[in-house]
Amino acid sequence: MLNKLALSGIKHRLRDYSVLFSGLIIASAIFYMFMSLATNSSFLKSNSPAQATSFIYGFGAVLLAIITIVYINYANGFLLSMRQKEYGMFMMLGAKSSKISKMIFVETFTIGAIATVLGSVIGIVATSFVSQLIIKSLDMKVTHFNSFYLPALLITFAFFIVIFIFSALKNSISIRRTKVLTLLHKDSQPARIKKNKALKVFQVILGIVFLGIGYGTMIVMGSNPVLIYLGVPVALFTIVIGTYFMINAVIIAVISALKRNKKFSQKGLNNFTLSQLSFRISDYTKILSMVAMMFALALGAITVGLGFQNQISTVVDGQNYYDVTVNNINNSQQKRIDKLNTKQVVTYSYKASKGTVYYQASEFKKTPFKYQKFNMKSMIGKTSSTTDPSNADVSYELLNNNLPRYRTSKISVVDGAKFDSIDSKANSLTLVKTKSFNKDLATIKKINQSEQKRYPELKGSGASKYDAYVMVNGIFSGLEFMGLFLGIAFLAMLASCLMFKILSGASSDVKRYNMLYKIGTRTKVLRSNINKEIAVLFAVPAGLGIIHVLIGLQMFSKILYKPYMNIEIPFGIFIILYLGYYFVTRYLYKKIVLK
Amino acid sequence: MQKIVEVKNIEKIYGKAGEKQYKALSDVNFEVEPGEFVGIMGASGSGKTTLLNILSTLDTPTSGQVHIGGQDITKLNTNEMADFRANKIGFIFQDFNLLENLTAYENIALPLALQNTDSKKIDPAVMSISKKLGLTDILNHYPTELSGGQKQRVAAARALVHDPAIVFGDEPTGALDSKSARALLDTMSKINHEDNVSILLVTHDPFSASYCDRIIFIKDGEIGQELKRDDHTRGEFYQEILDSLGTFAE
Ligand SMILES: Nc1ncnc2c1ncn2[C@@H]1O[C@H](COP(=O)(O)OP(=O)(O)O)[C@@H](O)[C@H]1O
Ligand SMILES: [Mg+2]
Repeated sequence: MLNKLALSGIKHRLRDYSVLFSGLIIASAIFYMFMSLATNSSFLKSNSPAQATSFIYGFGAVLLAIITIVYINYANGFLLSMRQKEYGMFMMLGAKSSKISKMIFVETFTIGAIATVLGSVIGIVATSFVSQLIIKSLDMKVTHFNSFYLPALLITFAFFIVIFIFSALKNSISIRRTKVLTLLHKDSQPARIKKNKALKVFQVILGIVFLGIGYGTMIVMGSNPVLIYLGVPVALFTIVIGTYFMINAVIIAVISALKRNKKFSQKGLNNFTLSQLSFRISDYTKILSMVAMMFALALGAITVGLGFQNQISTVVDGQNYYDVTVNNINNSQQKRIDKLNTKQVVTYSYKASKGTVYYQASEFKKTPFKYQKFNMKSMIGKTSSTTDPSNADVSYELLNNNLPRYRTSKISVVDGAKFDSIDSKANSLTLVKTKSFNKDLATIKKINQSEQKRYPELKGSGASKYDAYVMVNGIFSGLEFMGLFLGIAFLAMLASCLMFKILSGASSDVKRYNMLYKIGTRTKVLRSNINKEIAVLFAVPAGLGIIHVLIGLQMFSKILYKPYMNIEIPFGIFIILYLGYYFVTRYLYKKIVLK
Repeated sequence: MQKIVEVKNIEKIYGKAGEKQYKALSDVNFEVEPGEFVGIMGASGSGKTTLLNILSTLDTPTSGQVHIGGQDITKLNTNEMADFRANKIGFIFQDFNLLENLTAYENIALPLALQNTDSKKIDPAVMSISKKLGLTDILNHYPTELSGGQKQRVAAARALVHDPAIVFGDEPTGALDSKSARALLDTMSKINHEDNVSILLVTHDPFSASYCDRIIFIKDGEIGQELKRDDHTRGEFYQEILDSLGTFAE
């Protein structure tokens, strides 16, 4: 009988359950996806530019495990918040608490087990889809990657089964321990905000001091990377504490100030919104600080990952000014060059004789030779041009543009008469600068291949810009792939944590909103009130997280060339995903709260 | 003089066509004069809450008309209904329905804030109604820190603060002990007399009903007899109610 009642309870709340269910499925899918990378050592080895990679992945796995546990804890809280009133009712009607706690154990565990299996299947499909997408869109080189990887699947199962056994135990114990009356009246128990001014002021100061220390450490680390082993833990610790105090004290102080401003607070539902927020935020301090920190880590991972992508063209550009080099141009190569979106095409004739390559001065006078002047201090290459490329600095780059057989030769720039008198075959060297190397990549690749066919010595010499690009791309892609993957996975998890925390509070808000409706609040006003409230809860951690990242990027000022370059891309991806969660949360919240 | 409430041929059927239907109200007619304190009395399940929900635009009748302050409220759209509730009526519910994250003061001020009343005018209005209801000392308390009687007086203050055309009470004493119930009813009748506020009280309790000027009995969704207090004392009126309950219940 009771089982039947419980089942019908689930049927009634099918929508709430489907939210919970899809959340758990997403969690296990993400966990599987990450594990399929982190536990695949041949993938890591073949894509790791540095030994750091497996360490980074290990670190990422631990972080992901922690956030998954926290996440399931919140999802579980949401489950309990849905059920406790009903179970309280059964107990009031005389059901034994041991029976009830057994029921909630079975319910929690069953939901978890089904979600894990479905999640892993979705994880396998999603892994192949997402990895293909990332690999293709970024022209990355990723080898030894397999979306189905048995060890990862086993780890996922084991991990989730253990967590769900604990969650199920936790639920059944908490039901057994709680008094029936508390279960029945769970909704109507607000906590009064403790108002201790001195303590709050102290917390504000602590928050600012800790954040200052954390930010300072990151900036110092940036100019002195050796300090990283000491600096990272210090920064992590101080920023976590600073974030906590900022949210706990500063934001509540702002809300109280707004409440005291009668003109603002006594307009429409403002006072209600502010009260809701101040109760919520003191209740949410922990999760909001966690979300802010995770948000920063995830966004940081994506930004740095994409930073490496930017690095690719910088490194490649620093090597060589010209994008394409063709020797003794023929018809088919000419046709391909015509397809390029060129900025400059120049052809120099040359003759090689006894360790010297001769060029004509008149040709350089007409079109000076352009080259990259690399500044070791700023790590930036600067384009220069010269009419006499025979000096040591420049000749290296000109020789590099030519066939490998001349690599050890000297360069001599001579007048027309001298050039004609040299008894050797006249060759030509065509150099092309495109408007965008990346956009013409496909054609450049073809030119490079056919050039290698014509001159087999080019194979494996790594001389052309395209070859350099392929090599650098291979190194950085692995890092970037992981940054993106970890970042998006974290974001999905932490935004869902926040979502479940907020939705867990929804059932207790039903009565409040119903009452506001009864005394004549327009539904539109109620809706906009909910939107505002949830927007603040989402914006607080996002704002702090973004500040953390902007300052945290200072850590990479020596490692990455221009760490802030193209920052709008990762921030954009992030904000769109995060906004998506915001809209889903407020939609579901309104579905629960407004009838 | 214009009637405050005019109910004509109200019918309410629960359940959609084709499904199991239940007629909760049938052919209900009555009126309330300005300044009157009217009770609607009936056993549990007789349709009192249904009737009150219709009068307060929380629900719509299946057929019939309801005029409140001369306005046909069955023809309003949802926004107009919300504004109507906010401006024209005050509510006192059995389970208080206070917002427990707002202080007593903030709860009382809420209807005025909802009407976007000038913030300078809010404070005097809240203070004056609180004084009348003896709430000045507890204004900074949260509802959880108040007794049931105090909570219900806060709810009454909230129902009155914006000078509604009529106050509806759905068993407002239902959750109170007899002493608090008596205090609340005394206050309501004082406000009815002194400030000429119209009150429509729904109850199944003869003691609460004895505070009214007139009682309309309802049984199985139909209006039965009416009882007027005229110049009888409350004790006499209470006895009359008990007597007619005996006959009406037959
Ligand atoms: N939403 C509803 N759907 C179906 N029947 C209802 C609904 N609300 C009330 N009823 C029925 O209408 C009758 C009158 O209910 P109600 O007005 O709440 O009575 P009272 O307040 O006098 O106790 C009851 O028999 C009740 O079961
Ligand atoms: Mg009722």
